[in-house]
Formats: sequence, C-alpha cells, structure tokens
Amino acid sequence: MGSSSGQYDLSFKILLIGDSGVGKSSLLVSFISDSVEDLAPTIGVDFKIKQFTVGGKRLKLTIWDTAGQERFRTLTSSYYRGAQGIILVYDVTRRETFTNLLEIWAKEIDLYSTNQDCVKMLVGNKVDKDTERFVSREEGIDLAKELKCLFLECSARTRENVHQCFEELALKIMEVPSLLEEGSTVVKRNILKQKPEKQVGPTQGCCS
Amino acid sequence: MASSSKKKHEEEDVGEEEEEFEHFDDFTLASSWERFISEIEAVCRRWLSTGPKNLLEKGAVQLGEQKNLYKIKSELKYAMKNYCMEYYFEISNSGKAADWNWNATLHELQLSFGVKEFMVIAPQSASGVILDSPEASKLLSAVAIAFSNCSSLWPAFVPVHDPSRKAYIGIQNMGTVFTRRFEGDLISSQVPVKLMHLEGLYELFVSKFAFSSSDLSTHLFKVHFTMKLTYKTLPYDEDNEAAVLNSESDIITDNGGDNNNNNNNNININRNKLQWDDDCPWSEWYTAEDPVKCFELVAIWEEKMVESSMEMAEMENASIHEAQKWFIVPEFSSYLTDDYSGKLVGFASQLRLLIDALAMSLEVKFMEDFVSAETSGSDKLRSSAVIPPPTVLDRVLKDLCHDGSEVIPPEGRHRSSRLIKGAPLETLFAQFCLHSLWFGDCNIRAIAVLWIEFIREVRWYWEESQPLPRMPTNSTIDLSTCLVNQKLQMLAICIEKKRQQDGTSDNSSDTHSVEANEESLNPSSRGKEEGLVKERDSTSKRSGSAGVVKSMMLLKSHTNMHAPFTQDPPIMTEDMHEERLHAVEVLGDSFSFSGQLEKDILSSDMSAFKAANPDAIFEDFIRWHSPKDWEEEESCGPSKDKWPPEGRLSDRMSESGNSWRKIWNDSPPLPASQQKPFMDPNREGEKILHYLETVRPHQLLEQMVCTAFRAAIDTLNQTNFGGLDNMTTKIDQLYLTLASSLRPLQANKLLGDTEILQDIKRLCVIFQHVEKLLTLAASLHRKFLQAPRLSQTIFNDFRNSYLPKMGKGLVNKEEKKNQQVRVGVNERDVVTGMFVQPSANQSWRRVLSMGNLLNGHEPVFREIVFALRDRVDSSYHAPNEREIETHRMYICGTSNDLRVALSVTSCD
Repeated sequence: MGSSSGQYDLSFKILLIGDSGVGKSSLLVSFISDSVEDLAPTIGVDFKIKQFTVGGKRLKLTIWDTAGQERFRTLTSSYYRGAQGIILVYDVTRRETFTNLLEIWAKEIDLYSTNQDCVKMLVGNKVDKDTERFVSREEGIDLAKELKCLFLECSARTRENVHQCFEELALKIMEVPSLLEEGSTVVKRNILKQKPEKQVGPTQGCCS
Repeated sequence: MASSSKKKHEEEDVGEEEEEFEHFDDFTLASSWERFISEIEAVCRRWLSTGPKNLLEKGAVQLGEQKNLYKIKSELKYAMKNYCMEYYFEISNSGKAADWNWNATLHELQLSFGVKEFMVIAPQSASGVILDSPEASKLLSAVAIAFSNCSSLWPAFVPVHDPSRKAYIGIQNMGTVFTRRFEGDLISSQVPVKLMHLEGLYELFVSKFAFSSSDLSTHLFKVHFTMKLTYKTLPYDEDNEAAVLNSESDIITDNGGDNNNNNNNNININRNKLQWDDDCPWSEWYTAEDPVKCFELVAIWEEKMVESSMEMAEMENASIHEAQKWFIVPEFSSYLTDDYSGKLVGFASQLRLLIDALAMSLEVKFMEDFVSAETSGSDKLRSSAVIPPPTVLDRVLKDLCHDGSEVIPPEGRHRSSRLIKGAPLETLFAQFCLHSLWFGDCNIRAIAVLWIEFIREVRWYWEESQPLPRMPTNSTIDLSTCLVNQKLQMLAICIEKKRQQDGTSDNSSDTHSVEANEESLNPSSRGKEEGLVKERDSTSKRSGSAGVVKSMMLLKSHTNMHAPFTQDPPIMTEDMHEERLHAVEVLGDSFSFSGQLEKDILSSDMSAFKAANPDAIFEDFIRWHSPKDWEEEESCGPSKDKWPPEGRLSDRMSESGNSWRKIWNDSPPLPASQQKPFMDPNREGEKILHYLETVRPHQLLEQMVCTAFRAAIDTLNQTNFGGLDNMTTKIDQLYLTLASSLRPLQANKLLGDTEILQDIKRLCVIFQHVEKLLTLAASLHRKFLQAPRLSQTIFNDFRNSYLPKMGKGLVNKEEKKNQQVRVGVNERDVVTGMFVQPSANQSWRRVLSMGNLLNGHEPVFREIVFALRDRVDSSYHAPNEREIETHRMYICGTSNDLRVALSVTSCD
C-alpha cells in the first residue's frame, strides 16, 4: 500500500476510538485492503497508512486504531495528540457502545486532544445486522449534532459507506485552514531537515 | 491715505485686465472699498445659493473637534492685504441656534455668542488678527453692508487686538429692525477680585443695560442664569506624595472636631495604599502607571431666574448637589494612546525583548556559549547585555524553588489556556520564564546565566531525591504543555519513584515492603476491586493480589477471582512518543503492526493476573480484562445458580492463532512487583537532565516565548476588573490569537524563517493593547466599586474610541477628551467621595477665590451664561410682540483668567 511514499500533497493523522468490539479495526481493514475478515482484538494501538486522491489532492492518511479496553485507555491518550481527524465508532446493535461515546469518549477527546480545530466524525457500524439494531439513525444524528460531528452509518462487513466515511472526513479536514496548513507543513519540515546548515547562514548575518 | 489710493489704482488696473470681459459692472465708478464689499457679497451669495449640503462637495472640510461643524473658505484682497473669509456651518438642520447644548462640543464662537452658523473674516497675516481698531470696524461694516445687500442673516466676526486675547467683535443682521452686536475679550492675569465672584459678575452683566448704579439696587431685573462648573480630582499618580501629606493632615484634623470624621476615613484608606495596583496580579512583576490620571466633574445648573445680587451671592454657597446634571470626564494617561513615544514597561515590552533574545539564540549551539567570554560573539552583545549581580540571581533562584503559591487547578484556568503550548502558570518552568523576562531586562546572556544556574538547582533536587518545587506529581504527563515542562513533569515522577525505591530498601522486612510497593505501583483504580486483601490467601502461591473481584468466580476452580496489582503504563514525553511513532512508521510492517510496547503491557498484565489467580485460565483473564469478548448464554438464567456458567469467547478471541492467547501462553505468572519495570526512573531521570543541560538555545527560547506569553496572559487574566463584558471577550480573543500565532514556533521551523519572528513581534503589539485596556479596566473597576455602571460606560467609551485606531498610530486626542459620562443621582456620592479633602499643604498652594467649593476643591473652570429677554413690539410687524434675547453674556474662567463675551441686540 504505502509503496509510493512521498508522492502526496497532504498528510493527515486520523484516530479511531470507541468501545471494545465495535469494529474499529474491521472498519480500517475494510477501507485499506478491501478484505473482510474477523480480526483479533487490537492490543493497545495499531496503525495503517492509506494513500488516495480526493478533491484533486493526493492524500496520505495515517490512521491510528486504538484498543477499546479500559486498561489501554491511559496508554492510547497520547495518540490524540496532533490528530486532525477523530472517528468515534459505535455498534448499532449494542446500545451501551453508543451511550459510552457521550459519557466516556467525548470526554477523552476534550481531555487529550491538542488540536482545537480537529474534525470529529460519528460512525455507526454493523448496519448489515439491521434486524438486531438498537440505535436508530435519528438518535445517531442527534448525538452527532450534540458533539458537533459528521455522521455516517456503515458496515465494515458489506463495505457499505466505508470509503465515504474516510473521504468525507478528509474533505472536511481540508476545509479547515489551520488543519490544511498542518497537513502540508509535514512535507515542508522534511525539506528543511535536509539542509539545516544552509538555513543558519543568513540569520547569522543579520544578527551580528 | 494718499498712498493707499495709489494702491487702489494699481489694483484696479490688475483687476480690469482679469475681469473686464466677464462682467460689465462699472468699476471705474466704484472705490476699492465698494469693490471689496461687492466681492464679499458675491462670495456670500454663492455660498447662500449653494446650501450647506452642496458646499460639502465643493471643498468644505469638517472641523476635527466639532463633529457636526464644517467650514469653507475664500480669499479676498483689499488694500494690498489678503483676507480670508470663512463660513462655519452645520449640516443637520435640527434645532435653532442652540443656545447652550452642554453635551455637544461647540466652537468657541458658538459658545461665546450663542450663535450657530457664522462667518469669520480675518487678515492673512502672521498674527491673524486686526491690530488696528479703525480697520476692524471698517472691515466689519464692509461685511455688514455686503450681508444686508444679499440679505444674509449670518453673524460675522472679526478677530481683534492681540491673538492671545482671542478677542472678537462681530455683527449680525437679524432680518428685522434688529441688529446684534458682539464683543468678546479675555483677561489673562490679575482678574479683579470682584469679578471672581458670582455677585460681581452679575453686576457686570446688569451694568450693560441698567442706566445708573442706583437703578441696580432698586430695580429688579429678571436675569436668566445658567452655570457649568468643572472640578478636577487630584492626580492619581501622586498617591505616594498624597499619602505622606495626608498623614500630616490627619494629626491636624484629629483635633479639628467631628465634622471631619468622614474625611478621616478616606484618608486612612488612602494612606495604606502606596501603589494603586499593589494587589493586581501583575504587581509581582511590575508596577503600571495608573491609566486614569484624574477625573473632571462637570456640574450644570440649568436655567434659573435671578433677580438680585444677593441671590447670586447665595448661589456661591449652594451645594453642588443642587446642580441638575452631573457629568464625569476621565483624563487618561498619555501612555494609553498608541502613539505614546516613551518606554512602557509591562509584559508586552519584556516579551518583545524575549523575542529579540530568541533571534540571537538561532546561531548558538549551547547556552553556555553566551556566558563564556571568548565565544560570546560580538562586543556589542557583551557590552549591551548586563548580567545582574549574584545577589539578584540568588533571590530569583530562591523564589523559583520556593513552593509558595499553589498551582492553579485546571478548572481555575482560562479554558483556552492549554491551547498555548507552554507551561501552566505557577509551575516551575512558567515561573522561570516570567523571572527571565525581568532578570537583567531579558537579555540573552542574563537568560543563559539564569538557565544554567536553574538547571544546576534542578540537578541538586534530582541527586538528593528531593521533590521538585512547583511541580505536582499526578503521574501523568500533559502533552499539551511544552517539552521542557513535560520533561520536568517526568523528572518529578522519576524522583517520586526513586524516593519510593529508597524508602522500600530502608525497611527491608519482606512481606510488608512488597505490599507497600505494590500499593504504590497501582494508583490506577478499577471499579471492580473490592477492598484490599490484607491477609495472605489460603492458596500459598497467590501473590500480588489487589483484592477479590466482585461476583467473579474462576471458571475452573470456582474460587474468587482476584484482581492483580499491575504496573503503571509507562510515561512518555512527546519527543519519546514521536521517536517511537517514527520508528514504527519506518520499520514497522504497516499491515500487521501492533506496538511492541503495548504487547509488553498486555503480557505484564497477564503475568500479574496469573500470579494473583494461580488457577486461572485464558477465559478468566478475558472476562476480567476485556469483558465484551466473553459472551454469556442468555437463556440459562441467573449465572449464580449454575456452575460453570454457559458462555464462550467471542469469535474474534477464539480464532486459532489469536495473538492474545499466544501472549497468554508465553507469560509466566509473576506479580507486578517482581516484574521488570517498564520504566527505570534512574535512567530516565538522567536522560532528562542531559536534555535540560544540552538543550539547543533556540529550542529553549522557542519554548520560553510560548510559555512566557501563556504565563503573562494567564497572570493578566486573574485581574479583577468587575467582569466587563468587552474586556472578557478581548481576553478570550487574545488567547486564541496567541495560540494560533505561536503554533509555528512549536513546529520547530524557525530556523531560516525570519518572517515568523516578525509575526510574533506583531503579536506583542496586540498583547500590549490588551494589557493597556486591562490596566484601565482594573483601575476603573477599583475606583467605581460602588458604581459599576460608571466604570463600564467609561471603559466602553474609551475602548470604542481606541479600537478603530489600533495600529494606525494616530489618535485624535481632542476626540478622546470629550468623553462625558452622565452621573446618575444614586452615583453622586461615589463621585464626591473621589474628591478627597486637600491637605493643608496642598490647599495653601492655591488661593481659593471662586467659591462653590466641593470638599475643599474649587472649580477649575467656571462657565456662566446670563441672558436678559425682553418683549419688544416691532413696529413693522404690528400686533406681533415677541420675546427676544436683548442681552447675553458668556463668562468663563479659572481663578487666573476670565473671558467675557457679550451680545447685545438693539433696534437701529
């Protein structure tokens, strides 16, 4: 996947959070590899890189997938740092995963996110199990409004809406000037790093 | 006269050549004076026909001081002299020649003579006045003739005498049989005592129309009287002196009697306050000049009828509370204006110096380089940068390491504070940054000295295992703060851990010490724990248990499940995170990565669980650690009745090759206390000190700039300014501006981008603006504690007049002076309270001569209008009898000068 590294215009960091077992890793794998499989529970943190083109820009998304277990929560807190997008995932067939978003995960964002402009997205997963659904679409929309999030329902299994989810988030991030700048400075910084000696010269001249 | 007639002829010759073809007026018959009249007439006709609104398009200009007054001018020539004719007019036609609208700002002539629009004709000479009185009356009659020719009703004025006297004579055709004449003059010294008092002034007015002095005492004239008195408080910045003086007067007044008691109270308050901002949060760092210099109180007595000089004499003793209207006019210190040229010391000024220091740090490798003589660069740097003496350094270090004030809890901080990547106020690094702003006036060498000594001090705490001052240890690292602060946080935690280790090695009785150690290892609480198990369980192998888990039984042995003590997750500063992520991104197989560190943690938890529950199986661990991956069979009823409960691992846990099970199988049972710790406090602590000791100067300075900005605004934010809405929003905005403007510094891209430095310097301008406003808000708030409406209004007025000019540098001072705020009746006591009785020392300086005292202050300025009205029947408009103002006198003055302007309407 990431073989053509360096060939991108913008680079963003995305974080997936939500209760254990709601399908964060599945969502990610479904997006990355077009495959649908049962995955072992994430240990702590995992990440994937995906490059794709949206809105005429070549994007590199580094998507961090966190474990939902409580034990890992203090550990994952550091991954909120510098994330331009955060995806809050719940399972439409398990109500407590939905209520925990407001009670636990939204608070975690307030506490740990260092980026005031970061774009949030609410995603209800497992809509393929429509018969077992416990959280209605309307409730999802209401919560999204309350948390000021984008909203989508999708299924990692059928891959319905999975691509839209990440694309829409990326587009929204590109609409925020400060995030856009951050996304592009990563590239700039690499250029600077290559030749720090040259940069010192002129400043020396004007200061002495 | 002969010579002048010659000139006339010359002038005619020139004139003929120019104008002959345009007009066929017969100039040969006209004298030059007549020509001058007709010229005036022509100009006047032109202005009359154009009308005020259109004149604006023809080059009329607005007068700066008076918002609604415009003037247009035209130049004329007569007898080799140039004259300038100016027409002053207002645009809005509402109201008549408003006699005395106290609120509006009136032109001097409007005020003196009670006119609205008017004409001034003056010679274009150096003095701008007519020194010769025959010439003045000739000029005036020329204007009068010209005006009556074109039936203009404008009053016309001619400046006379000496320019300093601002004397005018004037005339106005009233349209009927009446003509108004004007005369005004000024006495600028040695004002006769009689004219200092209302009685004398009244008699002066009456003498203008009474025929004899006997008439004065027998006849009652109905004189309309209006008065405006202006008082001024003692300047606030002389508080120091005042306090000393007051203590002297205290002794005097103590013997003085009861009626002085009130004033004594005021004095006592004043005496204890040496600096006005003593209790403001910034006073720890600097003293601001009081932005409010003093207040003027304007009291207005609206028109009343006076019939005798006796009445006037009584007016002089009347209480100021009888005045119908009160206004207060603040006088602000000049430093509030943008174009203030002097040096203004505050956070903003020091922050600017810190940015200069940052610019210098770019080229240097180590902080030590600034201190050592050989490498400190240019001579200029060495000479200009003074390092304060060791005594000062000692004092600063002592304060830094003094654990005095408590760190403000996160709830007490401004909600946007953490968006600025610095250290929280009152923590060690924030305090260091604030000190370095003032240490040696913030030059880079002084900063280097302070930093090196500071780090030496920090190392001492580390070597001696003493808790770091001003650093709370809550075992987490706030990644939103700057790196130095994170490092110090981590160092504090390392010291804490080291102390615990030392503590356990001291009392080495094994079981107790293990427990103590375990307890300390597990501050993270679990909801499922149910009290500590103090006794050793019957199962001899069990170790590291933190207690029984409520209603959980092990599947195989049907015994209570014990929650283990677990190791704290490792703590990391942001550079450690970054390093790790970087390594993972480069080396990790991006498809199936799971961090090694996270695996270690899971494995450690499993070992601890195994140790606490020797009979446990993998399913037990999953039930405790990841309950959602254990699916109970719903159909089997309450699980307590039946054992073992029907249930199974979730699909994803039970798959073959599941990584969790693999780790479980590989983890030996081992209590947390015996495991290899995730973090070695000794090693990590040393690494942190190495970072602090070798940090690149520009990296340190970048963090110092961010932290100093944050600490400065946090400090200012604690100011009590009575919750002025405008101020609160200003501060909120500043926080956000700082956060976004300082972000480039955090990205560490300063090298080679001097534009960033320029941007941040501009930030200082904004900061200074808010700092000034805040000083003003605080000053007003404490002066009007009992009348918050006044402080609010004055502040808003100032802010509104100040804001639009921000950055442009030019501030119209006149406009600012005219901020009048109406004082409500209930607020009057607060205002009079500000007029502290002058001490004996202060009052002898000025001879009181005017009366109308307010707490011993006489008015600094007094304005009076006398008017006499009369019913006149004008024979032309037969039965109509109307009242006109026959005499009007405007008097204004201080105790040193007196200005009198008289208008008399008469029938010619």
